[in-house]
Amino acid sequence: MRLLFAVALRAFPRAFRERFGAGMLDVMLADYDRARTRGRVQACVFVVATVLDAFAQGVCERIEPTWIDPEARARARRWQVKAVLEAWKRDFAFAARSLARAPGFTLVVVLTLALAIGANTAIFSVVKAVLLEPLPFPNADRLVHIGGTAPGTDLPEALGVPDELYFEYRESVPALEDLGLYGTGSSTTRVDDQVEQLFMTRATPSFFTTLGARPLLGRLPTDEDDESVVVLSHWMWQTWFGSDPAVVGRSYTFARETRTVIGVMGPEFRFPDERVAFWIALPIRAAQVTPGGFGPNVVARMAPGTKIAGLTAQLEPLPRRVQERLGGPAPYARIMERYRPIVTPLREHMVGKVARPLWILLGAVGIIFVIACANVANLFAVRAESRRRDLAVRRALGAGRGGLVRVQMAEALLLAVGGGIGGALIAWAGVPLLIRAAPDAVAGGFGSAPIPGLAEAGLDTTVLLFNAGASLLAACAFGLVPALRSSGAGLLASLRQSGRGVIGRATFTRDALVVVQIASAVVLLVGSALLVRSFWRLSNVDPGFDTEGIFTFQVAPDREFEDKAALSRFQYAFMDRLAAIPGVESVGFVTTLPLDEGAAEVFVTTPRLEASGAEPPPVRYAGAGGAYFQTMGIELLSGRYFERVEEEQGIPNVIISKSAAELLYPGEDPIGQQIRPVGVGGGDTWYTVIGVVEDVLLDDLRRESPEPMVYLPAVAGSPAYVVKSARADRLAPEVRAVIKEVIPESPMYRVFTMERLAANAMASLSFTMLMLIIAATLALILGAVGLYGVLSYRVERRTPEIGVRIALGAEGRVVRRMVVMQGGRVALVGVVVGVIAALGLTRFIETLLFGVEPLDAGTFAGMAIVMVAVALLASYIPALRASRVDPVVALRAE
Amino acid sequence: MSNSQAPAPLSSLEYHVLLALANGPLYGYALKEAIVEESGGALTPRAGSLYRVLARLMGWGFVEETAPTSPPEPHPGLERKYYALTRRGRDALREEAARLREAAVLAERRLGLAADEAR
Repeated sequence: MRLLFAVALRAFPRAFRERFGAGMLDVMLADYDRARTRGRVQACVFVVATVLDAFAQGVCERIEPTWIDPEARARARRWQVKAVLEAWKRDFAFAARSLARAPGFTLVVVLTLALAIGANTAIFSVVKAVLLEPLPFPNADRLVHIGGTAPGTDLPEALGVPDELYFEYRESVPALEDLGLYGTGSSTTRVDDQVEQLFMTRATPSFFTTLGARPLLGRLPTDEDDESVVVLSHWMWQTWFGSDPAVVGRSYTFARETRTVIGVMGPEFRFPDERVAFWIALPIRAAQVTPGGFGPNVVARMAPGTKIAGLTAQLEPLPRRVQERLGGPAPYARIMERYRPIVTPLREHMVGKVARPLWILLGAVGIIFVIACANVANLFAVRAESRRRDLAVRRALGAGRGGLVRVQMAEALLLAVGGGIGGALIAWAGVPLLIRAAPDAVAGGFGSAPIPGLAEAGLDTTVLLFNAGASLLAACAFGLVPALRSSGAGLLASLRQSGRGVIGRATFTRDALVVVQIASAVVLLVGSALLVRSFWRLSNVDPGFDTEGIFTFQVAPDREFEDKAALSRFQYAFMDRLAAIPGVESVGFVTTLPLDEGAAEVFVTTPRLEASGAEPPPVRYAGAGGAYFQTMGIELLSGRYFERVEEEQGIPNVIISKSAAELLYPGEDPIGQQIRPVGVGGGDTWYTVIGVVEDVLLDDLRRESPEPMVYLPAVAGSPAYVVKSARADRLAPEVRAVIKEVIPESPMYRVFTMERLAANAMASLSFTMLMLIIAATLALILGAVGLYGVLSYRVERRTPEIGVRIALGAEGRVVRRMVVMQGGRVALVGVVVGVIAALGLTRFIETLLFGVEPLDAGTFAGMAIVMVAVALLASYIPALRASRVDPVVALRAE
Repeated sequence: MSNSQAPAPLSSLEYHVLLALANGPLYGYALKEAIVEESGGALTPRAGSLYRVLARLMGWGFVEETAPTSPPEPHPGLERKYYALTRRGRDALREEAARLREAAVLAERRLGLAADEAR
């Protein structure tokens, strides 16, 4: 019976049987069993009916299926998808073939796009890493840096927060949730045999809680800890301790003292910047504060909902209140009276000056992108124009408008993909170069903080998405408009026309594109020319000292000296060894090197000032010795230099700068006069002025008036030595050997040449300038190529007309002028638009400029002329071709 | 696809398949038994008809194959497949029931009215 039923079920299609056959058989057999209990006849009737039913249903199922198994259904769907893909594949294959037939066009377009997209991707990756990536702290948007300034006090422009004010902020500012005090510096660190000068931070325990920091290992400092505990940075833990977790709890020499490691931070915690090797706990108690130290920085977490302006308003009355409560000497009172808190979002504080050049660069490459798209759009329009007939034929044969657009967009997309891949490659190769060329990365030492996050710049998913987005945008920008235009209305009309195309709307579009290109190029030209002029001016600033052939380094003596005379004796003995190195002309030292660290400040008084009861003015001071002035080429205006014998005996002599002489002894001969620093070093010692030297620019080449400066002999600390030698850039190994011999415990650090420091001082400007020059050159070339392309095309289209003119006797000169004038007119419009745009845009680079106004007429005029000249040159080649049209050939083609 | 579009109203066999499965997953023969019982013997589908309806309902997404809720009773032969109502099937059954109720109400009212007129 089973067999009979199974045969009947063969009527069903196979797919149905495979799925339900077993079930149906099961039901049939069960029913049959039931039917048999009712008698043999009943069973027979049942079998016949069931077999007939199965057969009939099976046939019906074959005619009108109720069941299509999922696999077959997917197969059908795949077929549909496949059909769509087929269509696209056809279009892309067609596009690829037609592009392959025009290798010149393809290469130019892909290269143009690759350059533009690559530049944008590269700069974007840097902008993202530095400016857009969130700071690695929880709720980083509420973190601020608090500093201060005291205008009109001759203190440096940017001040920190004195301890007493920090406590006032802690206690009486509701807008602050938490705040920590920290100071940075560098000091000698010794672990086993490794001795190095490392960058470090001293920070209150609240510094860590404010930033929401969590240690990777161990714990963070608490209020119960004293200065004998340190927290290691991740990099120091890795490189100095081989990532050994057992380091927690051990003691080493950090910053010259034995301190215990209590914790290790994770790799993401790098504050104030990535140079920090370790953090020393800084326990300060309100009761033990000495007022007037303007060094430390404050990092704070604002209460939710607080605005910067609101916080600043709450902080502003506090310095005065603190001063009123504490009293203090007159200069302190004057500073606190004028002290203004400055609140900056933490990111802004960390990124600082680099933000502007980066945005400028992104703007510049954005302009390049526009120019490139305009250029490619132009090429595309020309190509579409020449394919009008081909497209019209397709349309006439029944192709829909969508299909025509798709064919052309396929080309655009292929080119954009090529450009995008090329751009990603360019960015991939270019970002490391960019990082190396970036300002502040040059110094590498302790001189200036590296740009935060810059090292992380590279191609990641976001950047690649940006790249893909840019490519797609480019494809739409240059492909879609010509595609819609050339497939739209009026297309069929071109079938009826002869080969001569329509000149009119299309011509206008192309001219407009060229205007955009030229205008953009003018903007970049003006910007880079302004920066070049600034750079040139800045390079020619006389800082008051030489920068060529001077090697400099710092080293701290490895012992304490009982008095100044002993310190001097040590320094001169050390310098004798340096001077003995072959090729060394002279050696000197200074406690604070110009262009590197600036100089500290001290209040000084003279007998005359004391008698008049006037307040002591602040001046910059540095300890100097040896042949410092001779080595640096700082001119001696009157008197004499320090002498070794005097210094080794500890005689209190002093050399002052020209502006200090004018400030302290107006109208008098300063030589032989007395001067006393208030509160620094010597206490009540009166010094005798023995010489006056030329002013120097200490920390900023842009400073207009030099600061008064006093040079004291034999100031303790770790001075910078300056070594004059024709081999300045190769002196480091020999100097290192001397140090190893004389003071083996002391690391040599901040090793530079003065030339490099001078270059560093201009790094931000020179970097931006270099990038803008590259951008402007690219823009100029692209603009010229664009104009050339459009004019060439137009000359080609007008060949019959020009042929008629020549046949009628027009001279080549006239034809040439006609074409050049056409190009010139377009260029002129572009230049005018560009100049107007530049007038509005140059203010963005104003802070980088030096000695030149952002609206400098000469620069604007000069660059306009350059652009017009290049445009005329680009027009001349097609003009030449036009004037050589053979009328016979031209007319025969008609 | 043509058979993914369910017609309204359902045929009475389709309705009874959904109705039977609304009580819980059933295998083929149990489903048939339930239909016979619930239709008061009006419907006695044979295997071929039953399974074609089942296949159609599966195509519409009203019914799906499922694992039995309780351990299946021991049974010689091939493993039985169980069928269950999907969410869409439940909705369809509800709609159909409402339609049938309306039709029934209409019928009763008319019969009631006819009785009144006769009076």
